[in-house]
Amino acid sequence: MTAPTIQVCRTCGGGAPIDVHFCPQCTKILTLGRQGDYFTFLGMPRKLNLDVDALEQSFRALSRQFHPDYFYNASLAERRASLERSSYLNDAYRTLRQPVTRIEYLLELEGLAAGSAERSATNSQTGAVPPALLEEVFALNEELDEVRSLREAGAPESEWKARLHSARQPIDVKRDEHEEQLKELSAKWDALVDAGGSVEDRRPVLKALHERMLERNYINNLIAGIERELAL
Amino acid sequence: MLHVGERFRSMSKVVGIDLGTTNSLVAYVKDGVPVVIRDASGDGLVPSVVSASAEGTIYVGREAQRRLLTDAARTVYSVKRFMGKGAEDLQDEARFFPFKVAGAPDGVVRIGLGDREFTPPEISAFILRELKHRAEAFFKEQGEFDFEVERAVITVPAYFNDAQRTATRDAGRIAGLEVLRIINEPTAASLAYGLDKRHTGVIAVYDFGGGTFDISILRVEDGVFQVLSTNGDTHLGGDDIDRSFIQAFMDSFEQSGLVVHRDGQYDPTLVQLVRKAVIQAKHDLSDREEAEIVLPDFGVNDESGHIERMPGKAYRSVLARATFDQEIRPIIERTLEPCRQALADAGLTASQVDEVVLVGGSTRIPLVHRMVGELFGRTPHSELNPDEVVALGAAVQADNLVTGNREMLLLDVTPLSLGIETMGGVVSKIILRNSTIPATGSEMFTSAVDNQTAVDIHVLQGERELVADNRSLARFKLRGIPPMPAGMPRVQVRFQIDANGILSVTASELRTGIEQTIEVKPSYGLTDEQVERMLVESFEHAEADFAARLLIDARNEAESVIMHTEKSLRAPEFAEIAKSDLAADEGARIIEALAALKQVLNGTDRDVILQATHVLNDVTKHLAEVMMNRSVHTALAGKNVDEIS
Repeated sequence: MTAPTIQVCRTCGGGAPIDVHFCPQCTKILTLGRQGDYFTFLGMPRKLNLDVDALEQSFRALSRQFHPDYFYNASLAERRASLERSSYLNDAYRTLRQPVTRIEYLLELEGLAAGSAERSATNSQTGAVPPALLEEVFALNEELDEVRSLREAGAPESEWKARLHSARQPIDVKRDEHEEQLKELSAKWDALVDAGGSVEDRRPVLKALHERMLERNYINNLIAGIERELAL
Repeated sequence: MLHVGERFRSMSKVVGIDLGTTNSLVAYVKDGVPVVIRDASGDGLVPSVVSASAEGTIYVGREAQRRLLTDAARTVYSVKRFMGKGAEDLQDEARFFPFKVAGAPDGVVRIGLGDREFTPPEISAFILRELKHRAEAFFKEQGEFDFEVERAVITVPAYFNDAQRTATRDAGRIAGLEVLRIINEPTAASLAYGLDKRHTGVIAVYDFGGGTFDISILRVEDGVFQVLSTNGDTHLGGDDIDRSFIQAFMDSFEQSGLVVHRDGQYDPTLVQLVRKAVIQAKHDLSDREEAEIVLPDFGVNDESGHIERMPGKAYRSVLARATFDQEIRPIIERTLEPCRQALADAGLTASQVDEVVLVGGSTRIPLVHRMVGELFGRTPHSELNPDEVVALGAAVQADNLVTGNREMLLLDVTPLSLGIETMGGVVSKIILRNSTIPATGSEMFTSAVDNQTAVDIHVLQGERELVADNRSLARFKLRGIPPMPAGMPRVQVRFQIDANGILSVTASELRTGIEQTIEVKPSYGLTDEQVERMLVESFEHAEADFAARLLIDARNEAESVIMHTEKSLRAPEFAEIAKSDLAADEGARIIEALAALKQVLNGTDRDVILQATHVLNDVTKHLAEVMMNRSVHTALAGKNVDEIS
């Protein structure tokens, strides 16, 4: 059996298959070059409901293999490799540990990143209101305007705060709905992975996840906005 | 395959160093067990105090601490508070310190030590060199052929930012040490505690020291010590307790007519007298209900009612535990919010914490013990000496690094989020706080106008939204972007936090593959050239010579005997012991010998000091035995201190 040679060992020049951490020839730690993704790196399936105990265990086992503490006396190349590989491991672990970052990462892998993170001196982020939220956003904005004029007119704090709290309720309901939908879609995705579903089957699930995530971010911003008002 | 170079490296000794605000310690691992290295009188603590005589001799430790009372203006303490700080951080604090603290054009604080000025890393390097010296003297005495100490693990508060960590590493380099690793104090403590308890569970380490407060929540499993979250306050510690009492005393003295100012500042000698008395009282209150505050050479003028200098007299007042507790409660309360935040960040509730470990001298305060116990709903551990446990853990880590021992592994986190400035003075976070280190993050930049070849980047650390509310770490200009239409270049800037929690930055233009080397000018740090120069200078300014050192050792021993004697004399049970167990004139002889030693202590004749120490040691031997027996009896009676008091 020959696995495809994708990584090259900086120590002996030999080749190594993808997602192998140590050179099969000279046993030295491999510099982080081409690797698979966070899921394969940690030996996890590309699913959204992960066995968290298995994830933690894999993280600890891999940490024990390539943490910089264990390469203190090693060559410069190995020390570098250990730093890079540990950093990648930690980033992978952090991303996959939380359901939300896990979904974001899956979408990114599948080419549905939630807006590229490119930045320029002129770039400012303007988010259009997701269609599914138009009604709520409209109602909330009206309410916020009224609360502001109440506050400016010197209305007692208890009065406008109470209105803010009631304005928040439908948003909270929306958020709970979204959490539910994300859970359902995640289960659907996992089932497709298990059944070996085709790209055509997977695409609609990913698209739905993508939309729910965008809406979710928008909802969180709305809630943060209300909380800012409450703190005034 | 073993290279000659590696072989040589593995010969010299490695140590763990706790570079504290108040005291510093050095420890090493002997046959798998960490041990604190002590001086001849058995003292493991080196006071983090540096003093310069008029002749330019530098004193460190006990001797420098003594000089706080005789030459306060030439003596520097609590330098850790200034590590990695800029001039604008100092406003409030500077007036409480008898030494000069000022900003300099390069942004790094300068501290006046005698007639010269030093940066905080240089002052810390004096302390580190003293510890190195102590360890080398110890290894030499043990008959070790390779007694030299060239490598160390140094601890820092978990909540130290990048600038403070870098300043600590610089201090090590200036002291001629290769810093193997900078590790966090609470994590080090957990290593020391974890040694004989190979268990699994969640540990909270509450570390309240002289100048800093840290809380870390760890999960221990399969020998991996994984920090889940950390929080703290790098400006909160026993110093603040002392200062609040010093302030109270100065206010009351001023009200009673005593002139407390000199040249617009508090009279440095008076501050030091009060400070010493307050600290003594604080320590006494750890195991008794009230303590006496004594200021030698001060008294109350019966006619005017004013407190004033009265040579030969002593001003006395009594501080009750209840009053003390009431005054310090707000300070201790400030430690509880970071604990709650750390728990929340770890996704845990207090009841999910299996064990609570207390670290740092300030945890000896009974009220701290009680309030921490209440917060976590369980009795905290304090089996290991809270002053020593951090150094012990650092020694374990140092040993693990050089021996390649894989039994344990520390996985720490970065305490503060790392970000860069974006439009409108807002911070965009790149690496979030409590990320396991090493960690990386990257950000893409492009150009705003055609043929733009450089971008300014401002790196910050902190949790706040606005740039102005966070710590500026560095500013740099990313140059050499190939001229292209606006928006075309794809410059990836990579941030790497290493296992020390220290940041480095690299960048590359992805379209052309051009790598950038970035010169990061730290906002509050030293450049490599400055550190190199300081290392050379430190060799030129030799420390106290051999004779001076012998004298200092003699004084240290004398001081230690004096301290123990005074403690026995102040003990509540002393009167009873004197009546029942001591000979008629025994108490008087002790007091006489004590006074005689104090008389000669600051002289320069070593033999005289040694002789007087010897005498005091002899006359107190019986008293020490009696007290020892009593405490053994108390212990055997199955009572603990709480029940007795």
